[in-house]
Amino acid sequence: MTNIYHSKPAQWAVYLVFFAALGVIPLFIDDAFLLNQFSTYGVYGMLALSLALCWGFGGILNLGQGIAFGLAAYGMAMTMQMQAQDPENDPIPPFMLNNSLDHLPWFWEPFWNTGLGIFLALLVPTLFYIAFGSIMFRSRVSGPFFAIMTLAMLSAWYTLILDIQPYTNGVNGITPPRALQVFGFEIDPYSSTSYWVVYTALLLCTIGAKLLTQSKFGLIVQAVRCDAERVRFLGYNVAFYETVIYTLSGLIASIAGCLWVVLVQYVSPAQMDVTFSISMVIWAGIGGRLSLIGAIIGAFLIQGAQSYLGDEFLNTWLLILGGFFIIVVRFLPKGLAGLLEIVLGRIGGSPRSKSPDAVADGKLVAAGE
Amino acid sequence: MGMLEIRDLNKSYDAIHIINGFSLDVTELTLCCLVGPNGAGKTTTMDLITGRQKPTSGQVLFYGDDITGLDEHEIARRGIGRKFQVPAVLKDLSVRENFQVAYSRTTNPLRNIFKFHSKGFERKLDEIGTLAGLNERLDTQAGLLSHGETQWLEIGMVLMQDPRLLLMDEPVAGMTEIEIEKTARIFNQLKKTHTLIVVEHDMGFVREIADVVTVMHMGSLLAQGTISQVESNPRVKEVYLGNEVH
Ligand SMILES: Nc1ncnc2c1ncn2[C@@H]1O[C@H](COP(=O)(O)OP(=O)(O)OP(=O)(O)O)[C@@H](O)[C@H]1O
Ligand SMILES: [Mg+2]
Repeated sequence: MTNIYHSKPAQWAVYLVFFAALGVIPLFIDDAFLLNQFSTYGVYGMLALSLALCWGFGGILNLGQGIAFGLAAYGMAMTMQMQAQDPENDPIPPFMLNNSLDHLPWFWEPFWNTGLGIFLALLVPTLFYIAFGSIMFRSRVSGPFFAIMTLAMLSAWYTLILDIQPYTNGVNGITPPRALQVFGFEIDPYSSTSYWVVYTALLLCTIGAKLLTQSKFGLIVQAVRCDAERVRFLGYNVAFYETVIYTLSGLIASIAGCLWVVLVQYVSPAQMDVTFSISMVIWAGIGGRLSLIGAIIGAFLIQGAQSYLGDEFLNTWLLILGGFFIIVVRFLPKGLAGLLEIVLGRIGGSPRSKSPDAVADGKLVAAGE
Repeated sequence: MGMLEIRDLNKSYDAIHIINGFSLDVTELTLCCLVGPNGAGKTTTMDLITGRQKPTSGQVLFYGDDITGLDEHEIARRGIGRKFQVPAVLKDLSVRENFQVAYSRTTNPLRNIFKFHSKGFERKLDEIGTLAGLNERLDTQAGLLSHGETQWLEIGMVLMQDPRLLLMDEPVAGMTEIEIEKTARIFNQLKKTHTLIVVEHDMGFVREIADVVTVMHMGSLLAQGTISQVESNPRVKEVYLGNEVH
């Protein structure tokens, strides 16, 4: 008998229930602030999802997912900022005037156009991921070395954005004064509209990611995780596969970055801070990086706990989280989803037939450290 | 002219010469056994053919095309499949998934994103699963197979690729007598449609399958010919067969 955890119909059924549950939340909540907070959890869920794809399925530990998130967030903030400016009378955002700029920098010009601005917000990080990924993967940088490179790259972007204060407002970041307008319609961050926008994005990204893992591409990416060397001799260009999965995961993080700014009307270098990118890894790790939905739930649980318990524990919160992460990595390499897998396996009476990766676990732990 | 021509191949690490002016012609639809003492450079030769290592000098021609220095996946796509000395299968994946990955008809990732079924795979799986005796084990995780089964899985994966030239590095190492006999039968069947280079220490097995035997010693060609020619060669007896136990 096989473990129901591995049954595809059962998995899709869980997705259905999960999204149905998320769909009724706005019916029960009339507190606009709470709904807004829940929407931001959806954004964090997308980030955890992106890491499950890249790290869980592809075996590529990415400690710099904040690059895609942050660059896209800046793109979106610039778009929303320019919506508040007037080409005739008031073409320069106030913070630039305070930094004594007397004209709009050239790379801000395209953001007058909302469609183009959002497009660029997604395109720029994607192009960066393609370039950075193909350089790294073609020279066969992998494992911890790749993780360190992403970290270095994240810090480089952080410093750059901080340094060019007149163009980015440095450490203060950009605070667009108005909510995003699309087609003359306002996406009020404190309304169910924005909740539904995030919900739809999370739903589509999750379905897309799930299909991706079930495709031939997804299988080969998992094969690369097991043994990249072997896969090369079967005729696959491993670097190409790695670049694609890394870039697709970055695209999901970019979408999350755009939505985050819609929800909070704010962006600063803090979104490209190392701690934030590492939190994403922790969400996916605790929830279960081999389970897309597990990773999303991991983000919900930890961010939820942080909002409610974080205030009480203040400085010790990070310590508690770190300790929890170490425990999970040590005893449950597949996270909470892995726990479910074990429990369902016991209930089904399955004698460890297919999946419990006794072999893989050693490697997984090493990757998680 | 051979389907595979190795011309004056050299490989050295600093001052250590591992392959020394090695040349070899392999004729289409023959089975060539590559033998020689440990450290003779047999595996390194396979590495040089398949692009895992780049030669210091020399050329490898496949159907007249120079494939020296191409990437591993490009060489594989031209039709050279390889089984490794230490069996290399995808341990986390099931046997079926291993075969699915090896069925590499489309290799472009952007196309494979939209691929959920590979045409002709089921038929091929049935054929190779039967050949490899793994039909009952398709849903087993590859890491849990026995040593013999793992060898067979990897041989099956190479066949799944449908290469024109098969390189087998010690395919029967660790197999039982019965398994070895079965492998010999299958290799004899395969050489009617494929070209094979087999590295093997088991001379009994070599005797059953080889059309041509090539003996390597310290990175160069020591002797070449039919099994009886090679076995009666005094130089071969001295450096290789003399100290083999049968
Ligand atoms: N990366 C390396 N650096 C230095 N020497 C190496 C390297 N790789 C292999 N060698 C040496 O090259 C020689 C040939 O090794 P190779 O594995 O090709 O031998 P082989 O004929 O396959 O032997 P066996 O029958 O034991 O498998 C050995 O002496 C080995 O120590
Ligand atoms: Mg060898």
